[in-house]
Amino acid sequence: MDILVIGIASLLGLYMAWNIGANDVANSMADAVGSKAVTVGQAVILAGICEFAGAVLVGAPVTDTVRKGIVDPNSFLALSGISHEQAAALFVIGMTSALLSAAIWLNISSFLGMPVSTTHSIVGAVAGFGIVAAGWGSVQWHKMAMIVASWFVSPVAGGIMAYILFKFINKSILGRERPTKAAILYAPYLVSAVTATVVLATIYKGLKNVICNLKWLTPEVSIIITIAVSILSGVIARIVLKRRLKGKDKLPVGEQLELVEQVFVPIVIITSCSVAFAHGANDVANAIGPLAAVVRVVQTGTVVQKVGVPFWVLVLGGTGIVIGLATYGYRVMRTVGTKITEITPSRGVAADLAATATVLICTRLKLPISTTHTLVGAILGIGLARGLGGVNKSVTNKIFGAWFVTVPAAAILCIILFLVGRFCFFDYLTVVCTK
Amino acid sequence: MTAYANRIHIPELNMTKHTSTQKTVATRRPCMSIISDLFGKSPFGPLVEHTKKVHECVELIKPLMEALSHENFILIRELHNRISKLEYEADKIKHEVRSQLPRRLFLPVDRIDLENFLRCQDKIADYTEDFSVILTIRNTPIHPSLIDKFFKLVDQMFQVTGTLLTAAVELQNLAEVSFSGAEAKKVLKWLDGLGEEEWKADRIARDLSRDIYKLEHQVETLTIIFYEKMIRKLGQIANEAENAGDMLRAMLIR
Repeated sequence: MDILVIGIASLLGLYMAWNIGANDVANSMADAVGSKAVTVGQAVILAGICEFAGAVLVGAPVTDTVRKGIVDPNSFLALSGISHEQAAALFVIGMTSALLSAAIWLNISSFLGMPVSTTHSIVGAVAGFGIVAAGWGSVQWHKMAMIVASWFVSPVAGGIMAYILFKFINKSILGRERPTKAAILYAPYLVSAVTATVVLATIYKGLKNVICNLKWLTPEVSIIITIAVSILSGVIARIVLKRRLKGKDKLPVGEQLELVEQVFVPIVIITSCSVAFAHGANDVANAIGPLAAVVRVVQTGTVVQKVGVPFWVLVLGGTGIVIGLATYGYRVMRTVGTKITEITPSRGVAADLAATATVLICTRLKLPISTTHTLVGAILGIGLARGLGGVNKSVTNKIFGAWFVTVPAAAILCIILFLVGRFCFFDYLTVVCTK
Repeated sequence: MTAYANRIHIPELNMTKHTSTQKTVATRRPCMSIISDLFGKSPFGPLVEHTKKVHECVELIKPLMEALSHENFILIRELHNRISKLEYEADKIKHEVRSQLPRRLFLPVDRIDLENFLRCQDKIADYTEDFSVILTIRNTPIHPSLIDKFFKLVDQMFQVTGTLLTAAVELQNLAEVSFSGAEAKKVLKWLDGLGEEEWKADRIARDLSRDIYKLEHQVETLTIIFYEKMIRKLGQIANEAENAGDMLRAMLIR
């Protein structure tokens, strides 16, 4: 009977992961596809690998937040007149209905053409069932406040960072009299920054998750490794750039700019991959956070969750995202590629790097944020730095509109599903959770 | 024959357009992505196209003057037709640029400056057409004593429009470097001389006017009126080029 409950929850989790892969992943590779650095097919393959790696390697912290950070499982035990098993059953019903309602809400909103974030739906849904199942007190409001605040902060932070990065690229390379000469001098620093961000995120939090017995991998050691690798990549970049751009500084500025943009092509591929990586790390939680909760509760028969996220659940989430990408996401990728023609590799690098850094910091802080919205913020930042021919302001209104609807809508939907679920399956699940 | 062919062709063209828009709506719905909605089309590509068209238009003034000095009025009519066609094409591009500037689009330059710049640049083409019209309304040969100064005026006017249009063609590159740095400085430097060149054109025009009125008793009054008309248009073209230059400068300095 355990298998049945876990199986159903897994299917729902897989479906949510499919949704993420189908709708959101294309955005994370948008800059590379839009600037024609990679073809749609290449982007799909790269995104698949990076999303999966991000989900499996770094996906656990945020998953933990969705699993037990928003609604405190212990508050179920504190409910009067409820046994241990009944509390567990309530929690399982709640998390399952959270998954289902977020999935339904996503489908409704994409039918209505609203740009809805999976993160916002799932956070709203989880909070919703917590309120009904165990009262206002069960929702960890300080954590919830931090999460909601991070939704505001992350696009703004991404925007500011992208603004500064692009200003730097523009001042030091593009705006110079001899852009190719300047690129040899300054582009290696960018390469170093990119490598440092990706390496730090991967080894600091990631490797520990997969290989547990790495005693030597202390924070200090990982920072040293990061610095070493980033310096090395910077040096390699310098050698490559010298070979490619030396003596080209006599060409007309227009041609030089083109050459410099070509230099940014490999960098934008790497940064887009890192956005995909960060996206996998942060957003996989939306699909598997509730699933992880269900699995642990059913396995242990108690809501008290001391052990971390099961590894196979992370793999399931990563797989679901890849399937979503392969079955539907490539189509979204194609539209993105044909519509974003104005972005150049240099702009893509600035936006991607800013978004990656922001998302990974939030992942480290265990905050579920919307990767897409962070990227939107970063791109707006480049627009503010006069880096884009035209940015559609109304998208931000649309996003905010969808935002304010999403959290309550997902919450209400989840409450309804929870009440129905409690009515139908409460007794059955109490038996399941009795060990 | 061609007229008929055109008439048959038009509804066909409309139909294909119609189905293509339907198609995009149909395919866009399920494949929505906020990121791709975020990007508007940059107006600077079409803007440079407009500049080039206007340039093509202005370039025909010299052949027009040469035809006039040879009193080849058939050629003038031909040139007028070409200018008028170019002006129409420039107009079409102008509308295209305007249609790409919806209020919701956030631009790297001030919208008002951009719109004013486009208007000034478009007026250069308008006035060029007006000039060619003046030459076709009445066959007005140029008095031999005026020819040199007329050509001098045309050359000076070219100096102004040429400077402006070379600067304006850089808009695409300027967008590439986000309107700053060495490229912006270079364009600003070009524009610096514009005011002085325009002033020189004004001075030549005044000088020419004086010469014309000296011929008061030798040529018909109507001829003098037409000379005046021509000078005024050439002056206006130079003036509009200077205004466009000011707008371009304002865009860069923001």
